[in-house]
Amino acid sequence: MTAIQPGMRALLLASIVALAVVPPAGAAPLVEAAESYRHLLIDDIGAALAGTRMLRERLAADDVAGAKKAWIAARVGWERSEVFTSGFVPELDQQIDAWPNASHGFHGIEATLFGASRTDAGPETDALVAHLADLQAQLAHIDLAPQRLLNGIARLAFEVGGNKADGGESRLSGTSLNDMQSNADGIALAYRTIFADAVAAADAKLGAAAQAAIARLQADVKIADLRRLDADKLRADSEELVALLEMAAPKIGLDKPTLEEGAR
Amino acid sequence: MTESTKRFLPTLRRGIGAAAGLALLLALPHHATSFPIDGDQAALPAGSELNEDAAEVPHEILHSDYRGDRISYVVALGDLAFNSPGILGPVARRAGISCGSCHVNGASNAKLFIPGLSTRPGNFDTTGPLFNPRADNHVLDPVRIPSLRGARYLAPYGHDGRMTSLRDFVRNVIVNEFAGPEPSPEILDAVVAYVMEIDFLPNPRLADRGRLTGTMSDAERRGEALFSKPFPHDPGLSCAGCHVPSGAFVDHLQHDVGSGGLYKTPTLLDANFNAPYFHDGRYDTFDQVVEHFDRTFGLGLSAQDRSDLVAYLHAIGDARQPYDTDGVVTRFKDMETFALMLTQAITAHDREAIDLTVDTLGAEFRDLAEQFPDQRDAAVTGAVVERRMARAAAKDVVISLRRIALAASADDFDAAAAEFKTFYHLTFLKALPLMRGTEPWSLFNAAVRDAHNAERRQMLRTPAQAQR
Repeated sequence: MTAIQPGMRALLLASIVALAVVPPAGAAPLVEAAESYRHLLIDDIGAALAGTRMLRERLAADDVAGAKKAWIAARVGWERSEVFTSGFVPELDQQIDAWPNASHGFHGIEATLFGASRTDAGPETDALVAHLADLQAQLAHIDLAPQRLLNGIARLAFEVGGNKADGGESRLSGTSLNDMQSNADGIALAYRTIFADAVAAADAKLGAAAQAAIARLQADVKIADLRRLDADKLRADSEELVALLEMAAPKIGLDKPTLEEGAR
Repeated sequence: MTESTKRFLPTLRRGIGAAAGLALLLALPHHATSFPIDGDQAALPAGSELNEDAAEVPHEILHSDYRGDRISYVVALGDLAFNSPGILGPVARRAGISCGSCHVNGASNAKLFIPGLSTRPGNFDTTGPLFNPRADNHVLDPVRIPSLRGARYLAPYGHDGRMTSLRDFVRNVIVNEFAGPEPSPEILDAVVAYVMEIDFLPNPRLADRGRLTGTMSDAERRGEALFSKPFPHDPGLSCAGCHVPSGAFVDHLQHDVGSGGLYKTPTLLDANFNAPYFHDGRYDTFDQVVEHFDRTFGLGLSAQDRSDLVAYLHAIGDARQPYDTDGVVTRFKDMETFALMLTQAITAHDREAIDLTVDTLGAEFRDLAEQFPDQRDAAVTGAVVERRMARAAAKDVVISLRRIALAASADDFDAAAAEFKTFYHLTFLKALPLMRGTEPWSLFNAAVRDAHNAERRQMLRTPAQAQR
């Protein structure tokens, strides 16, 4: 089991025992910070869209190697955005990243391209491009409620800690580890952009602990090979981070994050 | 994301009600869903099969069930340790393999197959290169994965009976075969206590002294007589001479029966569910086993003799309710016992037991969450909000467990005890009813699971398959 940081102990105890009600820190700074995050999100989805357009071009040219490269590149921005996608746009999430499903979305194309080394995934890729373009258009005006963004961070932090003994989500392409690294980076990006300052202002120790937990999560997946993953440590770190986020929420005027959007 | 491959506590199901029993009878025979591991990023070699997606799992009966007693703290702890990859070495931990992966609910695993370590489903080389290279004997010599039912009656241990102590045997499995750290005496004792509690399944056909009872067919009656009949060329031998009916059908000795060495006499109780047979699992059926003995010992059996013996073996190897259907109720069957054990561990300030419980139950609740697919799974339709609520509740249990471990590791057992109340509430008053209500839309529903698995198969087929 993971060693507990000394600072963490006091924090966790405080959370478990006291449950002190702290006045909301005010939502305005979070809303502003969420606007900053919107730009980053647009960039990431833009990168995924550009990668997918490249994928379409390479598939049309019957270039398997180039198409694989483009598919992998397109995944990075998408996986970094998972903090947002699952909770805010569940229908598009399903169309873009259905799992397990071999008929559409990233993984359907993965099955054709990586599983069969074939390039006849044109229609699926057209649909993927359209869905990502739709998402990018929606991003300009969608309401980025801080509560739902915190939910998304907590949900993804939990999910990254899941067992990957079977090779993970993108096992045909062998990029499950990249997915996890992008997820962890996406968590770090969203937390630092939106919540880090507010949490640190409300409770400096808790802020430091959350930042450290995110750094540990990133370090856990910063390995060369999925088979070297210390799944127990990753799981413990992931769950510790969720516990910290649950502690942080009331201190910045938010509810405890739900680990499934739409479940509350 | 991915389905968790961890599946352990499906283990513990006791005292299934009559209605469930009927459903189980209707569900048999056992048609498990296979789901091999694939790709080069997995902890196990491509083509490995742990049969973790089986719709039915072996029924487990502990001795305390017969007595109507509560399962003891030690047995519950041993049960958790038995199903925890954490007590084994790094490869097993990465692969999510525990004692319970091979001995599902204390029985065997006839479908387990690991390329390089198995020569057929149901056998496994315990001295192979994968889990502990230092124990590798450089020979592919897999042995059948045995059922542990009735283990306390079946000394000595190991297929060749090399160890007289079950405790020594269990320690050897953990430390040498699976490269785990030296277990603490408490954990080792607990695992041994659990294994010693695993009973044979009740067989209503058997009466005192291992005699068949009830309405016997002519074939069974003739088979029983043949079983005790001296071998024509070796009058000192008979089937029953080694498989002593009054002694769990064993004699605790090793014999050379022409299978390549000295191997201990296996029990015939529950044997209908223990295929494959012989020390290396070379035979699938009783017919093949009887044919082997006929040939090796020159028994001169007629076709009818052979079928009579097979009928007898089926009768004595039978059991009531050998399998349970996997589902929410069965997964929760012993949750109260584990909860009680956890609260005792908190009271005793026993960090090792707390960590083990948190890790093992946490993995179980993570797996339970994955049984309720979210909106990304296009193979499942309906009740998406309810599915997400069930997922969320299971995840909340995981985090609550983690808080207990964190409080304990910070030496605040009052905080751990306070969080335990939250854990208990979340588990039994929130997660359980939500999962029960949403079960028809979960992977516990055979139709839903089949649709989900069909999608997985389609997606994960190998390049060669996809080309076809």
